[in-house]
Amino acid sequence: MDIVQTREASQGQTDNQETLQDISPDILTVRDLHKNFGGVKALKGVSLSLRAGEVHALVGENGAGKSTLIKILTGVFQPSAGDILLDGQVYKPAGPRDAKFRGIQVVHQEFNLLPHLSVAENISFEQMPRTRLGLLDKKEMDRRARVALDAIGLQDVDVNARVYSLGIAHRQLIEIARALQSDSRILILDEPTATLTDRETDRLFNIVAAIRAQGVTVVFVSHHLNEVFANCDRVTVLRSGETIVTEEISETSPDQLVALMVGRRLAKEMALEKTTTELGSVALSLQNFRVAKSPYEEGVSFDLRYGEILGIAGLVGAGRTELLRGIFGIDPVASGQMMREGTPVSFASPREAIKSGIGFVTEDRKDEGLILDMAIAANVALAALEKVSQKGLLNRLAELSLADRLGSMLKLKSGGLSDRAASLSGGNQQKVVIAKWLARDPSVLLLDEPTRGVDVGAKAEIYAIMRSLAQKGVAMLVVSSELPELITLCDRILVLSDHRVQGEIPREAFSEEAILRLAYQRKDQGI
Amino acid sequence: MNVEATGLAQTAFTGRKKLSFKSVLREAGIGLALVALVIIFSVTTEHFLTANNITNILTQVTINLVLAVGMTFVILIGGIDLSVGSLLALCAVVAGKAISLDVGVPMAISLAVLAAVLAGTVCGLLNGAISAFWALPSFIITLGMLNVARGAALHISDARTIYSFPSEFNAFGSMTLYGIPVVFLVALMLALLAWFVLTRTVFGRLLYGLGNSEEAVRLAGHSVFWCKVAAFTICGFTAGIAAIIYMARLNISSPIAGVGFELNAIAAVIIGGTSLSGGRGSVLGTLLGAFIIGVLANGLILLGLSDFMRQMITGVVIIVAVILDHYRAKYTRN
Repeated sequence: MDIVQTREASQGQTDNQETLQDISPDILTVRDLHKNFGGVKALKGVSLSLRAGEVHALVGENGAGKSTLIKILTGVFQPSAGDILLDGQVYKPAGPRDAKFRGIQVVHQEFNLLPHLSVAENISFEQMPRTRLGLLDKKEMDRRARVALDAIGLQDVDVNARVYSLGIAHRQLIEIARALQSDSRILILDEPTATLTDRETDRLFNIVAAIRAQGVTVVFVSHHLNEVFANCDRVTVLRSGETIVTEEISETSPDQLVALMVGRRLAKEMALEKTTTELGSVALSLQNFRVAKSPYEEGVSFDLRYGEILGIAGLVGAGRTELLRGIFGIDPVASGQMMREGTPVSFASPREAIKSGIGFVTEDRKDEGLILDMAIAANVALAALEKVSQKGLLNRLAELSLADRLGSMLKLKSGGLSDRAASLSGGNQQKVVIAKWLARDPSVLLLDEPTRGVDVGAKAEIYAIMRSLAQKGVAMLVVSSELPELITLCDRILVLSDHRVQGEIPREAFSEEAILRLAYQRKDQGI
Repeated sequence: MNVEATGLAQTAFTGRKKLSFKSVLREAGIGLALVALVIIFSVTTEHFLTANNITNILTQVTINLVLAVGMTFVILIGGIDLSVGSLLALCAVVAGKAISLDVGVPMAISLAVLAAVLAGTVCGLLNGAISAFWALPSFIITLGMLNVARGAALHISDARTIYSFPSEFNAFGSMTLYGIPVVFLVALMLALLAWFVLTRTVFGRLLYGLGNSEEAVRLAGHSVFWCKVAAFTICGFTAGIAAIIYMARLNISSPIAGVGFELNAIAAVIIGGTSLSGGRGSVLGTLLGAFIIGVLANGLILLGLSDFMRQMITGVVIIVAVILDHYRAKYTRN
């Protein structure tokens, strides 16, 4: 073992080493960890212990310090103060490689895959198998990838497929396969289910249960409390960079956790359900609407009325995002008809869709929704530049006043409207995306996973925004993988499967079971 | 209302203050480097800080500045234009043909300017349209255009240099105003115009957006295609202007003019802190970048260094500038 490097560390060690080794089954102990970035205190006293072979949930709002903690555990950051003991010995990883070597693996929220390489190459990227001559052993690489994929139930994925050709959910699972490949003692899953549907999430938790049975400790970071309660042994709540509490799952409840996460603020909004408003006339109507990828002639048909929030549920690959992209004129439409207020329309580009009063809050905030490097105000004005300009000349004051008006309407929290959009938390970034469309006063709003990667508090606020928009008569089409979200928000839910409407559920009949039953069904089209 | 308006004005004010503080920081580095160079050369050489030499430097900077201003538009959207050196030759040859027409001096000069600008603009438009329509890397398309334009220049001129322009035209090339060459003032006006377009117009905003995230701009309902075409067209246009200045200064139009000019223009833009991947940068930076290259070339000659040495040093400066920019970008972000 290294001679201890700092005083804090040496104190921690002398205090604890013996007792830990003797009586505690803890594999990892974090004691009073601090981390400062310049003047910002990201962590101000995080303590945590992990037992061998447990699934330990880490919950907290965005900005609570979960990511910082994970980055310290995996050697990306060095702590400013406090110490970590791994097996009772001081653990100070020099870098991510060192952390991996000590058996701490992480699957990040952001994808770390190389899009133009194959699945097999990605999985083996950290340790490429070599032949005796030192050349790349492609057979062995493919074999290992096959084993790793099969182990997590991805039999349907070809190891030679390029990663960019796969959907976002598959990429996430491939990352997990990659992390599980090397020997892990502690596996950290940073919001692994944010992009997964329930079926894939189930698959993931089966895998988690299996690796836990092998004695691996799993740290599970999630906003989804139902998953935490279904799969974890203990839970630690972080708030504003501090550990609030660590509890046995059996001794706490989701309501209690939410209260601990948000502190005094009560997330009442979460419990509110959409008050049914009088629905207006038909805003958007699809008849046998089919995008290029859709295999069946019948396509999708529905009417969306003003003031209505229509949910679209379905598994990954059911064609939910593709449907929104088709409506918005991003992807070409193969057949079928779309009517806007009773008039047939076809949008050749997003520009035309926008002109007809439609807005689209995309799933991928970072690439499609925002220009991260630009000022918040510039992002808000991006789709309504004609409103803040005369004859092509920008009026910055008008731009700021637009952003100011919408920002205060949406309770946007920012350091200043001239700050870069990247400086905002996930929830506030999403508010900027919504503000961008509200700047145009859209009458139809398409929302794809509107609260993905958004913390509990901001989520409630976004729900409130959507409800008030519905009351003002805006028609909304919401795609979400979170069933409680759809159940809370919507007037009606369509369940898609294979690019077709599998069924429609009215508000009175909402339940997760009802949605899932439809989502897993396949129509018997005499195949 | 009043209170609200003041509050807003304040936000606007602090917003601008913050922005300009950051942008000052961004450009300050390059500005400081330029000042350092000027001081070094003033101390080490006798003639650097003389009126004559300053006029010289301004003249030498002019053509690169014009090309670099156009290049800024293209690099801001994440593209590159390798054809501007060859375009300059093509424009010069076309203008040389026009100016030799027997239609009276004012008419001939007007035709020449028109011909040069038109040729540059059309070629730039082709660069942009082809690379945007088929979504091909502009590196390859403009590399092709580099050869096409050079070949066309040689073909049209029969590989011969065109001489003997009207004296009024030549006078424009050597005219000065309080010691400042008029051609430099033209370049400066162009830079000012570009700065205005990039920072104060919707079009400029969209170019920055494109460089950051093309998809976000497209999904916000803007025509990505025309923005790209326009950026390349502007770059071609500046090649036409540069060709006129070149002719007026040297009194010739040669089909082998401008070889390697594109690299100097790119270097000026990059030294000026514009990111090669697009979305970040400014015309002010480009102006300073062009000056660094010009001052360096001039000072090293005065120091009596050989051509080879100068080339090596210029290369090192480009590399160091980009490394410094890496740290500056990191710093201004946090």
